Amino acid sequence: MLGSRSPRRLLLHTALLLALVLSLASNITKSDAQDKIFLNVYDNGDTNITDWWAKTIIPAFEKANPKYKINYFIARSGNGIQNIIDRALAALQTGADPQVDMFSGVPGDYPDALKAGLFLEVNEKNVPLLKTVLPGAQLSPFGLPYRGSQVLLAYDSTRIKDSDVPRTFPDLIKWIKANPGEFVYCRPDKGGSGRLFVARAIYEVTGKDPSKFTADKVDQELVKQYPKAWDLLRDIHTSIYDNGSYPAGNTPTLQLLANGSVSMITAWSDQSLQALRNGQLPKTIKLAQLTDLPFPGGYAYQIIPKNAKNQEGALALANFLLTPEVQASAVTVIGGFPAVAWDVLPKEMQTEFNSVIAKSIPVWPEGQYQPAATKGWYENVATNIKQDS
Amino acid sequence: MATQANTAAPTTSRGVRIPNSLLGYLLIAPPFLIMVVLIFFPAMQSVIRTLFYTPDGTLINFNLNRYIDFFQDPIAVSNLLFTFRVTLISIAVLFLLCFPLALYLRFSSSRIAAWLQTVILVPLFVPGIVLAYAMIRFLSGHGTVDTFLHTIGVTARYRSWYLKPEGIMLSLIWENIPFTIMILTAGLRQVSNELIDSARDVGANNWQIFWRIILPLIQRPALIILSLNFLGIFGSYTVPYLLGPAAPQMMGVYMQQTFTEYQDRAGAETQAVITFFSCAIVGALYVRAVTRQRVEQR
Repeated sequence: MLGSRSPRRLLLHTALLLALVLSLASNITKSDAQDKIFLNVYDNGDTNITDWWAKTIIPAFEKANPKYKINYFIARSGNGIQNIIDRALAALQTGADPQVDMFSGVPGDYPDALKAGLFLEVNEKNVPLLKTVLPGAQLSPFGLPYRGSQVLLAYDSTRIKDSDVPRTFPDLIKWIKANPGEFVYCRPDKGGSGRLFVARAIYEVTGKDPSKFTADKVDQELVKQYPKAWDLLRDIHTSIYDNGSYPAGNTPTLQLLANGSVSMITAWSDQSLQALRNGQLPKTIKLAQLTDLPFPGGYAYQIIPKNAKNQEGALALANFLLTPEVQASAVTVIGGFPAVAWDVLPKEMQTEFNSVIAKSIPVWPEGQYQPAATKGWYENVATNIKQDS
Repeated sequence: MATQANTAAPTTSRGVRIPNSLLGYLLIAPPFLIMVVLIFFPAMQSVIRTLFYTPDGTLINFNLNRYIDFFQDPIAVSNLLFTFRVTLISIAVLFLLCFPLALYLRFSSSRIAAWLQTVILVPLFVPGIVLAYAMIRFLSGHGTVDTFLHTIGVTARYRSWYLKPEGIMLSLIWENIPFTIMILTAGLRQVSNELIDSARDVGANNWQIFWRIILPLIQRPALIILSLNFLGIFGSYTVPYLLGPAAPQMMGVYMQQTFTEYQDRAGAETQAVITFFSCAIVGALYVRAVTRQRVEQR
């Protein structure tokens, strides 16, 4: 049938139909947009994060703020967020609408946009709840920390009494030497749980002051002190699992704890909480944080572009992210850690997580501090060559 | 075979005549260009950079400084030797394991042989990352091996191969069995039954048939599979990334680490050229084995 018609006619009909559909569709959005303010939010988080947004955060926000409606875009593939930032930068120059009000990202990762002044500064004035955020969590005035993750000790409570779990770094070193083969951390370049254990050792030998390590520039004096950390870690090398065998990643390390090969490891809080919840780790595995200076961790940030069309709405959403309601759901839904101080969260949650609550979590800057740390570790700690310590 | 291909050229067509040779060159031009642009050219660039430039990119006279640095670094040397060790042991074990199996599959017509032929192909369809995690489960403490040993009453402390060189070797051997068997059985099929029957008619025993007929005829496929296995194992990445010790490491993992973790591009480039030449020597053996076969078939 179609074949008998002239191609031109077919084209005309298709175009007409398309125009009709388009006009209908735009009518629908128009009528909806009349009473709602749309906020465009872009996220490149993993599925667990985007599910948490779609199923928990967004419905709660829209319920609490009925005049807003969130258009939530998952920009996970390729350089999704970079594209959004490029678009917003171009819009900043031409004064156009960037069509984005908030996106996920670490401000320092986008030096061009920082230089062009694309990002809006967030502070206690425009986001009042920032005052409840843990000290040190907000690395840059342009990023809003809203969920965290930290490295912890995970241990088998059937083999170690809670009271015997070391709670300071020197005690941990002593414990490892007293219990050869029972502890393991992963290679620093293969997983954050090992990298931040090594970072904690570096903090230990440089005066336990994380504030000395800043993201913007490398203090070579601190790097020169790394060898002291290598001595410390080389000293426990043979007491590590299987005579100094380091697994290649966070997951393989968790597996060694789960299958009983070792009784204590360093692990990411979110990964271990999730593994505990879905049964990959037995319920007898418990978590603890050091009390002298916690293992470092990291935060996820949201950024608002300065030229966001609905800046007011974006700031309202930013503030909403820091409410106890959302912060508590970070713990219960994604196994994350709050960005705010634990004492604003429900009492029973504070009791449940008592052993891991820390007043502040240091953030290891990595950047130019990391290559020397990784290389130094391989050459001085894990090496099969240097046998002199 | 080669003569057949020549007669199939378009000599009978009435249209424009394309000379045989030109058509051939046209057909191989795209893959050849891709090889030149994506492989030979960058590889030569790397070789030249390691010989004429300092690590920060200034042009100087011909020098071997980067190679001297490499061979003076005990960790780099131990990683290179370790890679050779893992590779040579793995291909030796693979050959010793697969050759008898290939002989059996070639000369047996039982149902078990047919079944085995299929089962042996399984590792071919298992991706490297799956294999690595399966091996971790298999070898790790309280894993399959440990549990099995315990069940049959071996109660001595289990020494896991997971983070030992043996873990890498075992996984790579397992991964390469199907390909090795395929090449070897294909090679053995070229040994015709008539040849063996006639040898038997003149009174040769099994051992003589094996030693005087099969072994000389299988030399070329054996050389081919040994060199292909060498290249594959020497350059392996996923398995030695997840299994084996933190030190020494195989070159693939070491290169990646030097490049991205130590952010030492020049060092990684030197390691790459050394790896490339180690493989090129074996590659040359392979090319010789293949071309000699072609020439003889003509």
